[in-house]
Amino acid sequence: MAAGVSVKESVKEMKRLKNEPLLLIVIAAIVIFVGYFVIYPVIRVITVPEWQDYAQLVQKARWATAIKNSLFMTVISTVSCTAVAFLFAYVNARLDVPCKGLFRFVTLLPIVSPPFIVALSYILLFGVQGIITKGVLGMQVDIYGRFGLWIVQTVTFFPYAYSVIYGVIRSISTNLEYAAYNMGATRWQVFRDVFFPLCRPGIAGGALIAAINVLTDFGNPMMIGGDLALLPTEAYMQISGWYDMKTASVLAVALLVPALMIFLVNRFWVGRRSYVTITGKEISLNPFSLPKWVKWTLFGLTMFISLFILLVYGTLLYGAFTKAWGYDWSMTLKNLQYVFHKGGQIWNSIKFAFLSSLGASFLAMILAYIVQKKQIGINKLLDFLAILPGAIPGIFLGIGFVMAFNEKPVELTGTAAIMVLALLFWNIPTCYSAATAGLQQIGNSVEDAALNLGANSFRSFKDIILPLLKAPFLSGFVLSFLRSVTCLSVVIFLYAPRTTVGTISIMVLVQNGQWGEAAAFTIVLITIAFAVLRAAQYILGKQGIKLEL
Amino acid sequence: MKCKRWLSMCLAMTMSLSLLAGCGGGDAAADSTPQAPDSALDAETPKTGGKLVVYSALNEDNTIDLAERFKKDTGIEIEYISLGGGDAVARVQAEMANPKADILVGGSVDLYGSLAEQGALEAYDSANNNDLDARFNDPDHMWQGWYMGVLSIIVNDERFEKELASKGLKKPETWDDLLDPAYKDVFVWSNPVTAGGAYIATACQLFRLGEDKGWDYLKALDKNVHHYYKGAGDVISPVATGEFIASIAWAHDSFKVKQQGYPLNIIIPKQTAYEVGGAAVVKGGPNTENAKTFIDWLLTKDVQDFHTQISYRYSVRGDVASPEGLPTLDEVDLVDYDRAKATEMKTAVLEKFEAEITSARA
Repeated sequence: MAAGVSVKESVKEMKRLKNEPLLLIVIAAIVIFVGYFVIYPVIRVITVPEWQDYAQLVQKARWATAIKNSLFMTVISTVSCTAVAFLFAYVNARLDVPCKGLFRFVTLLPIVSPPFIVALSYILLFGVQGIITKGVLGMQVDIYGRFGLWIVQTVTFFPYAYSVIYGVIRSISTNLEYAAYNMGATRWQVFRDVFFPLCRPGIAGGALIAAINVLTDFGNPMMIGGDLALLPTEAYMQISGWYDMKTASVLAVALLVPALMIFLVNRFWVGRRSYVTITGKEISLNPFSLPKWVKWTLFGLTMFISLFILLVYGTLLYGAFTKAWGYDWSMTLKNLQYVFHKGGQIWNSIKFAFLSSLGASFLAMILAYIVQKKQIGINKLLDFLAILPGAIPGIFLGIGFVMAFNEKPVELTGTAAIMVLALLFWNIPTCYSAATAGLQQIGNSVEDAALNLGANSFRSFKDIILPLLKAPFLSGFVLSFLRSVTCLSVVIFLYAPRTTVGTISIMVLVQNGQWGEAAAFTIVLITIAFAVLRAAQYILGKQGIKLEL
Repeated sequence: MKCKRWLSMCLAMTMSLSLLAGCGGGDAAADSTPQAPDSALDAETPKTGGKLVVYSALNEDNTIDLAERFKKDTGIEIEYISLGGGDAVARVQAEMANPKADILVGGSVDLYGSLAEQGALEAYDSANNNDLDARFNDPDHMWQGWYMGVLSIIVNDERFEKELASKGLKKPETWDDLLDPAYKDVFVWSNPVTAGGAYIATACQLFRLGEDKGWDYLKALDKNVHHYYKGAGDVISPVATGEFIASIAWAHDSFKVKQQGYPLNIIIPKQTAYEVGGAAVVKGGPNTENAKTFIDWLLTKDVQDFHTQISYRYSVRGDVASPEGLPTLDEVDLVDYDRAKATEMKTAVLEKFEAEITSARA
């Protein structure tokens, strides 16, 4: 029954599109574009193995274990990532405490640092011979395995969830909370029944991004996962050890399934509830103050995590200027010399990141707008298309691109275009989540008013939605940029001699045991990323736009 | 006003996107690295400079040094990427329909077998390989051996003195010394499934001790292993920095890390195994003639001398001295390593290794 009705409605909605040819063209273009650069490569990967290859997944005990381990790590790391992200977002958005600049800074560090390299700091500080664990605390701990990986993944990936949650919390008006207080609700009731439900789209979106990052994480398990079998590393072993694309593809598909499940659970949890807080008029009072002990406990926790992150990156910075990483701590500049030979690669990193993020944030915003605000019957498909790249492990998006675009008519391998396009589609979910979370906060009434006054879809999008979406758009763009500068997984199969980027060099240096030089390279890359970020903030600030991540 | 800004950004994006999609190749050519002109032209004019696209499994600094020298000697510009041996093979395989690389350099020749079988390589019998030992030349000329490396036991001297010497333990000299329970959890190794070097070390034990005893050895060694790293070289820095005390690694790679000042002791045990490092011409690459020139060049005495000095690997030529600081090849006692058999049994051995040894740890 229900299905029949909704199909009928969908058809009716699609018929309405006839009156809006521009919208129809945009939708068709997006579907074709995303379909060709996301679905087609995925299909190429999926169709490489035969049916009996897929049967191995259940037959082989090691992979059953890998699936179990991957799911387990994803669950615990996502929960901790989301919790830490919520803590940081809440403290930064709602509390009147000092050191907020520091808190924001440490949420950016993990995003701008390439994989592999930070693990070296963790090992140096908290490893078997760790400076902190063994030297200061006198403990005998083993970070190689689930526990160490959990800590490292939490710190590495909570910033992704943070940026989404923070964006939403900041846009929640406090008026409703005041109304609740006035009617006699306790602080806890207000938090639980008013504030928290309003955060849900942010929390769900943040958790989704964190979960998929954890699930497809590859650098951390390589360095400190020890013997733990996980799907991404097993897939890598198939390629690197067996040159077996078929089996690697099987594991890639095994990785896709839980990723898609995360996506569905996320949709289910957010549900169909409405979370509108930006209506026609936007007046917000200062947040209601918290009891002192709660405030300072939250502050203390945030400070502790921040100092932890600073320590890890401080070690990396120091290590970049030492003669022999972790052994000879005397200062030297020789590690930096190497980096100066690699200017071209650093420029490539910046160029590809900029173009891909720009493309991704525009495409994502248009997608989010159509999905959220236009009842056109294929919303679910568009939503799926927008989030799908996030469910594809970067390395397989890369392999898919190689398989799909190595022959005519679209021969892209070895070019800069393939790097930009792969990063672009890889970034869409990041931008899409930010845009969606932002859009869900905007009521329909403003736009309805515009439509009633005779504006068409394009006009109301341009004049009403875009200005309101500026903040999510920019945070999506900058986040994608930083992510792309430091991305390794997507480009690892796509780079060519002329399109090599900084992260590739860092990986090669780590593999060759040149850890000091790898650290120096990382520091240079992080510095550049921050410089670009600050420059963007400065330029936009002059135009009255405040860019916060 | 504001809308205009958004619109212009939108336009800029569309333009840059269509530019990228429309003329990807052109964009790459306009890239930062000032390089030789377009590849298609150069392919038809070999030996007069031009370029060569190298997928290199050597250390990057060695690749750079070789590239500079090659340019000086032949005028041919090398464009390279650095990557692990297995990754290089996977990449050539993925690009088979439309090869981008001209030549694959570095990594044990064991790697090249599957590529040759699939028809991804082009046979080339260099005129400079006639005087080389037979084991360095592929009978089908699909690959060319051009250096040698031997396996060693590496030990962090400082931690060994402090923690193990006090227990009365002597520095390990043989493979069997590694089975001492004192090494439990301070010994790390690479997974032979992903690390070519670790597979050679595994096969070494099977050749040295025979099938049954060889497996007994591997299982006994497993009791001491803290964990298995993915790459063959991944173990060196953890031992160098003292995170762990001992491991098995290539002598030349370890020696290189040692040069940074780490207290790394490199012991080449009796009955050790060796790799033959290869190079192979990729079939259908854009500059095949230059790739052949490169192989000829690699085998000359000058280049072999040069490479031995910068990489500490042994030369395949009898008239090139062993790397300084390492024992000469005559002093090294090599196991009777049957490369054909090692290749033939590889899948079975690795499957058994995974089933009986590493899976219990997953």
